[in-house]
Amino acid sequence: MWWQWAHWLPLAVLVPLGFGVTTPAVAGGDGGRAWRWAVLGSALAAATTLALVVRVAREGPFSYAFGGWNPPYGIEFRFDEVGAFAFVVASLGMLAIVFSGRYAEHALDPARIPYFYTLLLLDIAGLIGFSVTGDLFNMYVFMEIISLSSYALVAVSGERTAEMAAFKYLVLGAVSSLLVLFGIGMVYGTTGTLNLADAARRLGGVGSAVPVAVAIALMAAGFMVKSALFPLHVWLPDAHAIAPSPVSAVLSGLVVKVGLLGTFRLYQVVYRTGIVDLAALDQLFLWLGAISIVMGAFFAIFQDDIKMMLAYSTISNIGYIVMGFGLASKFALIGAAVHIFNHAIIKSALFLAAGAIIHQTGYRRLSELRGAGRGMPLTAAALSVGAVSIVGIPPTAGFLCKWYIALGAFEAGRAAFGFALVFGALFIFVYYIRMVNAFYFQEPVHADVVHAGDPPLSMLVPVWVLAGLCLAMGLAGKIPLTFITPAISRLLAPIGG
Amino acid sequence: MIGALWSNFDYAVSVVLFLIGLYCVIAKNNLIKKFMGLNIMETSVFAFIVAIGVVDRGSAPIMGPGARGPFVNPIPQALILTGIVVAVSTTALALSLIVRVWHQCGTIEADELRELE
Repeated sequence: MWWQWAHWLPLAVLVPLGFGVTTPAVAGGDGGRAWRWAVLGSALAAATTLALVVRVAREGPFSYAFGGWNPPYGIEFRFDEVGAFAFVVASLGMLAIVFSGRYAEHALDPARIPYFYTLLLLDIAGLIGFSVTGDLFNMYVFMEIISLSSYALVAVSGERTAEMAAFKYLVLGAVSSLLVLFGIGMVYGTTGTLNLADAARRLGGVGSAVPVAVAIALMAAGFMVKSALFPLHVWLPDAHAIAPSPVSAVLSGLVVKVGLLGTFRLYQVVYRTGIVDLAALDQLFLWLGAISIVMGAFFAIFQDDIKMMLAYSTISNIGYIVMGFGLASKFALIGAAVHIFNHAIIKSALFLAAGAIIHQTGYRRLSELRGAGRGMPLTAAALSVGAVSIVGIPPTAGFLCKWYIALGAFEAGRAAFGFALVFGALFIFVYYIRMVNAFYFQEPVHADVVHAGDPPLSMLVPVWVLAGLCLAMGLAGKIPLTFITPAISRLLAPIGG
Repeated sequence: MIGALWSNFDYAVSVVLFLIGLYCVIAKNNLIKKFMGLNIMETSVFAFIVAIGVVDRGSAPIMGPGARGPFVNPIPQALILTGIVVAVSTTALALSLIVRVWHQCGTIEADELRELE
């Protein structure tokens, strides 16, 4: 069958990488041509990753050894159910690039547009690589590709504070990358291997648990900064609010997930070795996750800037996922893993819809955007669908994951955290009600908001595809849940089983 | 304790360097100094990983007619070569951001920038 061809796996990374670096040369200074080239590249990447998802659904996890050098000696790409995040990355990246076409014409310096697409495609390539790699050092390299292109993408908007936000992001991002690299070095030092599966095997037999524990602590700390968990979130709101909207969608939906996927990979390595007791780490995740949920939602209530609000809501949602990891029961882990996917879809829908509104009206504060529901009915409706979905009202995508995480809290006997989750959802409800209220029910302040009209089709279609997905992922929620379950079962299977 | 530290002198030094770098990143006010702290951290991690591969009296692992073991482990060195490339690109990006901050705000002191915001 077409999906069984072995080379789809490396191609999934090479396609966006190749299209990305050739974009400026192909465009020759023409932003429109750069856009068409980037759309083509990301569409091909989406098709390639789709082949991988089909194969993993039919056959289970598979791997690819580079140059015929078998692991653990060669470099390995390994695709499992959680790696299906690569498909989400490629398709959401494609929608963000389609959306950028008209947005970039307006918001960016024309000379920079081809490089903007280069950075976006590099970011996508890094994210796909990070989700499919089976090698610790490759993980670090892909993480750095993602980080470097993200720092530059934050600075690209040219707003006055953009460089400062990018610098803050860069410093914290670089520190966290170094923590992870230190941890990877220690794993290599104790086991003598960089292959994830091989490291998992050998960690069981190492003499002393102390260096392993330190390595886990370093990597977990690094990944927590990357995913902007509560006390380490300071870089996120500025960076995500100042970046151009399609970039915010990619950063908030996909790039913060690097930390979570990394944590999941770390769990896959150390969970079953039994050499280190992970109860303390679980406890830490549990509490930090719960605090993130509440604090992220709390800060979001006081924001007037619509993108700032969405940025804080990301912190809150990251809290849900991390809390799911911390609960470490089957339902909670399934919910957390599916929420990695669903939150990516929902948050991209929200940021793109918000971007379309900002693009059409020129305002970004809720107090100025009153009446946008009348001016741009279709966009505001998509934003409302996203809002309903992120609060977690059935039958939308957000409900299912939060329900599973709450079930997991009860399953693990930590009912209090289940209530924290519901509490957080109520907070989130409050600030999205504020938004919907401003759009539909309050008297408009600016006349041009009411007369703005819906954006061009190249922006409206991606927004509505994502809004439709928010509904579809809720209605057909069984599909992602059953798809991800084998990966979680393997993770939790008894040692030696 | 002292004996253990002495026999792992190279690791201890890289941890100390890492902490010095972290201190610079947190405590220094000037953006370039902050970034130099980050460079110190990078160097410490690189030194740590290269030190893992060291073999006492090992020679360079280059095969040829005169090659005689023991050899040092070449993998950490290859990794760190990649790591250095990453560090160079981070440095270039950070310095160009600092230049643009200077052009836009007229200062690169963190406290003055905070007042401007």
